[in-house]
Amino acid sequence: MSGYIFRRVLAMIPVMAIVALFVFSLLYIAPGDPAAVIAGDQASPQDVERIRQSLGLDRPFVVRFAEWAGSVLTGNLGTSMFTGLPVTELIKQRLEPTFSLMFVTLLLAILVGVPIGVVSAWKAGSWIDRLLMAVGVVGFSVPVFVVGYLLAYVFALELDWFPVQGYTPISNGLLPWLENLVLPAIALGFVYIALIARITRATMLEVLSQDYIRTARAKGLGERAVLFMHALKNAAVPIVTVIGIGVALLIGGAVVTESVFAIPGLGRLTIDAIVRRDYPVIQGVVLMFSFLYVLVNLAVDLIYTLLDPRIRY
Amino acid sequence: MDRRHVLKGIGAAGVGATVGPLAAPAIAQGVKTIKFVPQANLANFDPIWGTQYVVRNASQLVWDMLYGMDSKLQPKRQMVESEEVSSDGLVWTFKLRDGLKFHDGEPVRAKDCVASIERWSVRDGMGQMLRAIQKELVAVDDRTFKWTLAKPYPKMLMALGKIGTPICFIMPERIAKTDPFKQIEEYVGSGPMKFVKGDWKPGAMAAFERNKDYVSRSEATDWFAGAKPMFVDRVEWLIMPDPATAAAALQNGEVDWWENPISDLVPVLKRNKNIKVDIADPLGNIGSFRLNHMHPPFDNIKVRQAVQAAISQEDYMRAIVGSEDALWKPCPGFFTPGSYMYSEAGGEALKKSDIEKAKKLLKESGYSGQPVVCVVAQDQPITKAMGEITADILKKIGMNVDFVATDWGTVGQRRASKNPPAQGGWSMFHTWHAGVDTATPVGNIGIRASGDKAWFGWPKDDQVEADIASWYDAKSVEEEKKIADKINRGCMENVTYIPTGFFLGYQGWRSSLEGVTSGPLPWFWGVKKA
Repeated sequence: MSGYIFRRVLAMIPVMAIVALFVFSLLYIAPGDPAAVIAGDQASPQDVERIRQSLGLDRPFVVRFAEWAGSVLTGNLGTSMFTGLPVTELIKQRLEPTFSLMFVTLLLAILVGVPIGVVSAWKAGSWIDRLLMAVGVVGFSVPVFVVGYLLAYVFALELDWFPVQGYTPISNGLLPWLENLVLPAIALGFVYIALIARITRATMLEVLSQDYIRTARAKGLGERAVLFMHALKNAAVPIVTVIGIGVALLIGGAVVTESVFAIPGLGRLTIDAIVRRDYPVIQGVVLMFSFLYVLVNLAVDLIYTLLDPRIRY
Repeated sequence: MDRRHVLKGIGAAGVGATVGPLAAPAIAQGVKTIKFVPQANLANFDPIWGTQYVVRNASQLVWDMLYGMDSKLQPKRQMVESEEVSSDGLVWTFKLRDGLKFHDGEPVRAKDCVASIERWSVRDGMGQMLRAIQKELVAVDDRTFKWTLAKPYPKMLMALGKIGTPICFIMPERIAKTDPFKQIEEYVGSGPMKFVKGDWKPGAMAAFERNKDYVSRSEATDWFAGAKPMFVDRVEWLIMPDPATAAAALQNGEVDWWENPISDLVPVLKRNKNIKVDIADPLGNIGSFRLNHMHPPFDNIKVRQAVQAAISQEDYMRAIVGSEDALWKPCPGFFTPGSYMYSEAGGEALKKSDIEKAKKLLKESGYSGQPVVCVVAQDQPITKAMGEITADILKKIGMNVDFVATDWGTVGQRRASKNPPAQGGWSMFHTWHAGVDTATPVGNIGIRASGDKAWFGWPKDDQVEADIASWYDAKSVEEEKKIADKINRGCMENVTYIPTGFFLGYQGWRSSLEGVTSGPLPWFWGVKKA
């Protein structure tokens, strides 16, 4: 196992190198000019050119890439062209809100999505199943921002149960932290719940038709034990896969959710950087997300071995 | 007490205790804070290096100015106690007020002013004019500095007190010596608020705390002029990219003041009895249809005149502000409506849209169907709205439109390209100019017609340039007004650019705030919070 983990970690190096080259090249050929944004609308073309030179944007691609890649290897992701702050510091400022949002969403999605899927499979074909799956279709179909606005309108503006926007660090208390995350997590988790519920249902339906389930029932086991001890455990591998894949979904959704609820997370940092063409920040954030995604995939692979003893690496 | 506050109380008292010292609130109890939603993200904080309006608006809290413009656009002494100008107009001597201190406790000295002026003047249009005639700029003693010129410059005080970016803010000498094309790293000023660097999360929040050592003037507060009394301890800028979120936060009392509500949401705010809504800036904005004079088809004056004849300013303005008549007016001129320089001389072509005349002019021009590359930013509601009107007008008069829908970042890059439109260049783009900039030729970059050295589009008209130069030498308002007529007529005839109308915007604030004023930027001094 440790050999496998070591090989997978080694394999991350070329993956990250390709991501780095790809992101850098993409930004190099993409239109847009950070110097023009910095200079403002009143600036003369000459001023814009001077700023471009001072930022080193007039240098050749290879020189710029070599310099950036060299500093990334030493753990330095560069400095934001706009704020003058190190990219690592900007990412650090935004990690907690985004990870908090992803964590609460993930928790919510698993706690709600899995039971819905199990119940739907258990009551397959009944009105409960149809109702739950209809809710799932809605979850897939309604965009995150629409759910977000509706939740904010009802639960923040009308009922005043939750704040409309913002983020409270967990260091200020667990409930104030949670209070700011409930609505965004529901908005972001809606599609995720639907996805997990549908996969859980499909997998459970397959497992529930197996002989050993019939045997378990014949032995007189209660339905709860059959569903959750025997069936769900054997249906877990595809569900964990979907949860892993869903992390990418969460990253994408966080960009929108953070804007709707004004959460100062990585999603908004990314969008702001793209709009301004703050290349070092875009590169740093994409690299970080890629790294995170590779790690999640590794974790998913390792979880397989816990869930299914037949899987060995 | 609602459920949210109960939750908050439980959280703070119960669970908060478990996280020890980290649970301590960052802001002491009883601190009066204004929570403000600015027009844009404060992505950098150097008002000379980055000249975006949002940077200027934040900088005015931290850095003070030698002169400040009042609501009549007249420069008044601010950090300066007195000034003297020699009888030949060549030597200006400025004396600073006593007791001025930077936020680090150091006194403001004349050498700080000299270094700040030097840095500013590299980047500012008026500053560059002064540099061109500067013989010497030196500190005489700690409170006095002297500026010797090769020729008189009657607009000296206007230059030092101008509101348009970049403003001549005064910084400590060590900071002001930074290359004007590089960003400063220290944010020490002598203004009424201190910048809290530790709370700055670009894209999310910026915070300012009251400078207790600020020495305010005694005259009545009037925009940048007079006293700058701070009645709150802290001002927090909360960046909200989504207008609907900002509107909801204002309604919910989570923020106190929103600088620029979009017109669609204003009716919702007006219905809330706890919110006041008013015109943000009476000087407003002038919409711009910017043409590329360097390449076909707009290098041909007849083609430019054809488009000018077809323009319906009402269509443009309704696309921007909707149905509210109070928010727009026709503007067949290049100076701010309501300002003393405003002129409609030569503006007849813009008073009525005449498609037939436009078609006739286009035919006379010999236009042979070259694509008109319209580079339109879709992420800016104002440019997006204008772009759609433009595409329609150009098609109506028979032009071949190549509509490039893109974002403002790309427009910023592409408009700098002097390549032909088909090779990465452009034919036209939309923008708008703040009324405070277009009130005089000082910040009115759109009317400059110096060809290669002019603003994007590179129009050339030596007579307009000569008229602008003569304005700087004018010695009376009457003389300036006559020059304004000549400039306006010249720009209309040459179709330097096409003004698409004059429009205003709203600001909204909670009724718990008192003293919010209308102006080209949000002023926090004089604002009280109940």
